[in-house]
Amino acid sequence: MNGVRQGTLTPGALSGLAWTLVRTDFKTRYQPTVGGFVWALLKPFAMFLVLIAVFSFIFGGDPAYRFYLIIGLFLWDFFAEATKHGLVSLQAKSYLLNKAPFPSWILVVTAASNALITLAVFCVVITVFLAAAGRAPGVGALALFLLYLVQYTLIVLGFSLAASVLFLRYRDLNQVWDVAIQAGFFVAPIVYPLSIIPERFHFFLYLWPPTPIIQFSRAVLVDGTVPTARAHAFLALETLVVFGAGVLLFRALAPRVAEYL
Amino acid sequence: MAVLEVSGLAKTFRIPEVHRNTVRDHALALFRPRRFRDLPVLADVTFQLAKGETLAIMGRNGCGKSTLLKIIAGIYQADRGDVRRHAGITPILELGLGWNPELDAIDNVYLMGAVLGLTLGEIGAAMDDILAFAEVGPFASLKLQHYSSGMAARLAYAVAFHAVREVLVLDEIFAVGDVGFIMRCQDRYRALSAAGHAVLLVSHDPRIVSTFCHRAILLEGGTIVMDDTPGRVVEEYLKLVTAGR
Repeated sequence: MNGVRQGTLTPGALSGLAWTLVRTDFKTRYQPTVGGFVWALLKPFAMFLVLIAVFSFIFGGDPAYRFYLIIGLFLWDFFAEATKHGLVSLQAKSYLLNKAPFPSWILVVTAASNALITLAVFCVVITVFLAAAGRAPGVGALALFLLYLVQYTLIVLGFSLAASVLFLRYRDLNQVWDVAIQAGFFVAPIVYPLSIIPERFHFFLYLWPPTPIIQFSRAVLVDGTVPTARAHAFLALETLVVFGAGVLLFRALAPRVAEYL
Repeated sequence: MAVLEVSGLAKTFRIPEVHRNTVRDHALALFRPRRFRDLPVLADVTFQLAKGETLAIMGRNGCGKSTLLKIIAGIYQADRGDVRRHAGITPILELGLGWNPELDAIDNVYLMGAVLGLTLGEIGAAMDDILAFAEVGPFASLKLQHYSSGMAARLAYAVAFHAVREVLVLDEIFAVGDVGFIMRCQDRYRALSAAGHAVLLVSHDPRIVSTFCHRAILLEGGTIVMDDTPGRVVEEYLKLVTAGR
């Protein structure tokens, strides 16, 4: 098919589409509720209050536990929210896919926007929170934290790209993922310290992407330590594999998505 | 000069005898072989569309007209054959369906306009015209879920008519709205045609084909069985649809 390539938008039209998708997603999700956007932050924060009340009796000996917990919860919430919306993103916007050809990945990428906005607000909150407790993270720590978040986002996008096209073929994938997310909450060391798990299992826990992200973020933000170069290489490889696999699968299956709607 | 060349286009849908579209279905039937039935829709379609030409595609229900338009528009992929596009194409397909019911008309117009290739600036500048053309101006900030199907379809035409590139691909044009709206669509269509836009349209309506088109093709059994003047093709089409009666 040569000549004029159908389905490509000019950069102006593509960025306009991306912005409109982000804007309208935000609007439909938060506008109908009283307090709107505040709810998105309130959910993990309420979870924090409940969990701190329960688990501080068990792990309360560590004064850093409450920081570990809130970092874990918000990073987890981002992962759960973004992947759930990413998975259904193509199906949810099927009314656009049927109308005209355009780069469908834009639907998957923008589906993560709401979770990203919440995460950005959390980053400011946690920095203030730590500073107020006399543990203000340095510039280097914040830069590393940002690097982890970029890798985290790439992992989420890789998953979403793959899952969104597979969801059109396997219509119960969202239910399967809901179960996985529920179990995954306990696979990642969110409410418990990783040290209570025998060392020989750590590698397997680190294969679950939220684990390295949460552990590394806690190290740089709370403990003031930097994970080893090997640990960083592991995370980089994990990011590359998940994102790369997602892109490849999406490229293979996306051209025929309209036929599965 | 051709703006669109379609050659040897073929498309077959593989329909599974038993639908498996969940993880559960696949897991339960892991070792049972899947059986498919092939549903050939297009066998071998070849034609050209010249600059400024209006070409009608006629044919019985299920003969593959809509599939053909979707392949030409780039929404479906062909199994074999080639679509050479020498100009930008604006498809107007399945209108009336396909809005986000939770958004108001203005946001929906932004979404649809962007998908059809307009920039935000272009959409913003055309917004008043689009809403006026669809006669939904007073309901611009009403959510689409409260729109009647007629209002929604008129809005879709209004957006698409403002987004037109060189070639317009239309499925069942002028099938919505009252006489006033249809006449406005026809006026707009005439203006586009006069400005040199090529149009490819699917219609069952002999009057539309005879009035608006320079040429018509008749699709039957996945191939083009006739490529002639609108009058002759309409005659053949009517024979075809009334043959079994």
